[in-house]
Amino acid sequence: MPFSFIEIEQKKSRLILFVFLFLIFFYFLTVWLLLLIVRNFFFASAFGNEFIFTFPPLSHTLIALAVAFLIGLLHWSVSTSNLIDKISASIDASPVDPKDNYHQYLKNIVDEVSIAIGGRHIEPYVIPTSALNAYSLVDFQDNAVIGVTEGLLARLNRSQIEAVVGHEAGHIVSGDSFNATVICSLSEIYKETVSRLGQGTREFRLRGKGGVLILLIFIVLTIMNFLNQLLNTFISRQREYRADAVSVRLTRNPLALAEALRLISQKWHGSGINGENIESIFIVSPNVRSIEEQEGLAADLFATHPPIDKRVNILLDMAHLDEKTLDENIKNMIRVSPIAKAEFKEGVSSDKKRWFVFKQDEWQGPFLLDELRVLKGFSPTDWIKIEGQDSVFEAFNDDEVNKVFGATIEDKEDSYPCPHCHTNLNELNYEGVPILKCDFCAGSFVDYSGISRIFIREDKEFSQEIVDLASSVYKTKLRYNSFSKPGTSDDWILDCPKCRKKMHRQFFVYSYPVEIDRCPSCSGIWFDKQELEVLQYLYQNKDKFLLQDKNSV
Amino acid sequence: MIIGLILLVVLVFIVGWVFMVYNSLIQLSVRVKNAWSQIDVQLKRRHDLIPNLVETVKGYMNYEKDTLERVIKARTQAIDASSIKDKAQAENFLTQTLRSLFAVVERYPDLKANQTMLKLQDELTSTENKIAFSRQYYNDEVMRFNTRIQVAPDNIVAKMFKFSTQDFFEIEDKAERQSPQVKF
Ligand SMILES: [Zn+2]
Ligand SMILES: [Zn+2]
Repeated sequence: MPFSFIEIEQKKSRLILFVFLFLIFFYFLTVWLLLLIVRNFFFASAFGNEFIFTFPPLSHTLIALAVAFLIGLLHWSVSTSNLIDKISASIDASPVDPKDNYHQYLKNIVDEVSIAIGGRHIEPYVIPTSALNAYSLVDFQDNAVIGVTEGLLARLNRSQIEAVVGHEAGHIVSGDSFNATVICSLSEIYKETVSRLGQGTREFRLRGKGGVLILLIFIVLTIMNFLNQLLNTFISRQREYRADAVSVRLTRNPLALAEALRLISQKWHGSGINGENIESIFIVSPNVRSIEEQEGLAADLFATHPPIDKRVNILLDMAHLDEKTLDENIKNMIRVSPIAKAEFKEGVSSDKKRWFVFKQDEWQGPFLLDELRVLKGFSPTDWIKIEGQDSVFEAFNDDEVNKVFGATIEDKEDSYPCPHCHTNLNELNYEGVPILKCDFCAGSFVDYSGISRIFIREDKEFSQEIVDLASSVYKTKLRYNSFSKPGTSDDWILDCPKCRKKMHRQFFVYSYPVEIDRCPSCSGIWFDKQELEVLQYLYQNKDKFLLQDKNSV
Repeated sequence: MIIGLILLVVLVFIVGWVFMVYNSLIQLSVRVKNAWSQIDVQLKRRHDLIPNLVETVKGYMNYEKDTLERVIKARTQAIDASSIKDKAQAENFLTQTLRSLFAVVERYPDLKANQTMLKLQDELTSTENKIAFSRQYYNDEVMRFNTRIQVAPDNIVAKMFKFSTQDFFEIEDKAERQSPQVKF
């Protein structure tokens, strides 16, 4: 590691002191300005004196300083508690889902990188957006977080993600993340105050002197906000190069980081991230501003990140490669999906298993599990045997077959009944996301948080049937109904498998006329057979469909 | 009198300096120890995974008993090794035998599709990555420590308090990633 621990601690406390003084200085300036205004405009006219501009005496100034100190201290203590929660909430990030394959994959990568920096615990977070970006935070209790977007997990390959996580780890070990976190939290409070004050002015319609007062406070706050941004910026730009260097030291792979940066810069890195004023925690600024890609004093002052091209070139130098090779590498990039292994093979192997049933004095079959479900007169005490095996046993002894008989399970606490068939839904993963699926009607229930993940991930290969269905849904704009659903739009018929409350039948979105059932209390959605795939295909190919529309007109 | 005073000041200065160097050397050696314990955790993790792996593979492989026995033997050797050099050697051997085992697994499609096998393979890969990263970190720390105690003037203090150079945890692997020149 290029950093000595003591050095960082010193740097850290110096910066904290600096930010704290900064805070007090600006509160002091505000209070002092207020004092000036009150003195010259209110008192002067109240006593009807001739207008003379005077400065407040020293004693008042000292009181102003004391007040500023108190406000600053309060502000500081409020804004530095629960930092990680606050900032994560503002960008919609949450800890990884232990049942999600993609999230486990991220956890493994973060664990590996945390070992490479000496074993410091780092909590992985995910932002549910298709944008490509990553960020890191460290709070006063020394909790560290590295977060990446779903889009990044779905589009980059393992070594590229590792390089990005290495870059964020670089910010953590160098103390940058901590500084950025503190400054971001301060700016969050400014934003809040400014917007509240703006509201106040509008609501009370203050006129005359009161109005002038509010206006002046507003101006002071705006200036503070601007200076805060400046501070943010001043801290941020050079450190990106350093973090890139740490990433290369950890992963020994400058090319992967160059590839990752290039890919991130090609895609829009901001969509869905509410990153105003907290740009400095991200690997690439989430706000698209032309100034980010420029050089020179102005750009160095106001941009939070250096130009990506410059960063890429430095990395290419280390790898002794040129840009042409980089572009070619990206074009031929191999990405192994983290779920390719686990998910898709499972379906094949479990489908293969078949059973013989002893009925009317002879062995019948073999039957698949779904066929056993509808087999007339099949009971738990019937003798069965597994295809390819000799041992014979009663049906209730086979765990898989026994599930077939669990028809009415509504009373069980930990079971999830299918809204149509009332049999227990199976927990399985689709696109790495844990969902509940009915073996019988092929419908599935997806939690609210899982839906956006499924739409962002592109591992599923769609059958021709789904492609055709989706195209016809798109073309005809007709209501698609795969299952002969009882009832029509706006009905409340099916029960949510989790909450056991009625779900609301509605279009998924108006542009895709596929009807789904949404639970009003948990926001989970029930998709009937093929509906989820059709919607996913429509969403992931929306550009293609739009292009077709243009060409046909 | 004045000379005595000067000597005293010089003496205090030297003692202070020795104390400072000694302190920072201790800090560095603690870091080396911590780095080593990180490797140890990951190596243990790998040793713990192997019995499960052997159990899973056993049922499928009737003709490759040799490969399995070599893995088991390599694991025992790795657990028994005590010095860092021995450990590095034993772990090298274990990595090699595991690789040949996975090469054999490729020939059994049923085994390859087995859920437990897939999970184990994933975990072993991840553990191996972690071993590589912890080794990298350890070697970086050892390098820092060794340089410090060999370069003047700190080497005098190091000799006084009998600090000795630490062994690197080396793994002979042709696929090993080369450290690029980092300059900014
Ligand atoms: Zn069903
Ligand atoms: Zn619900």
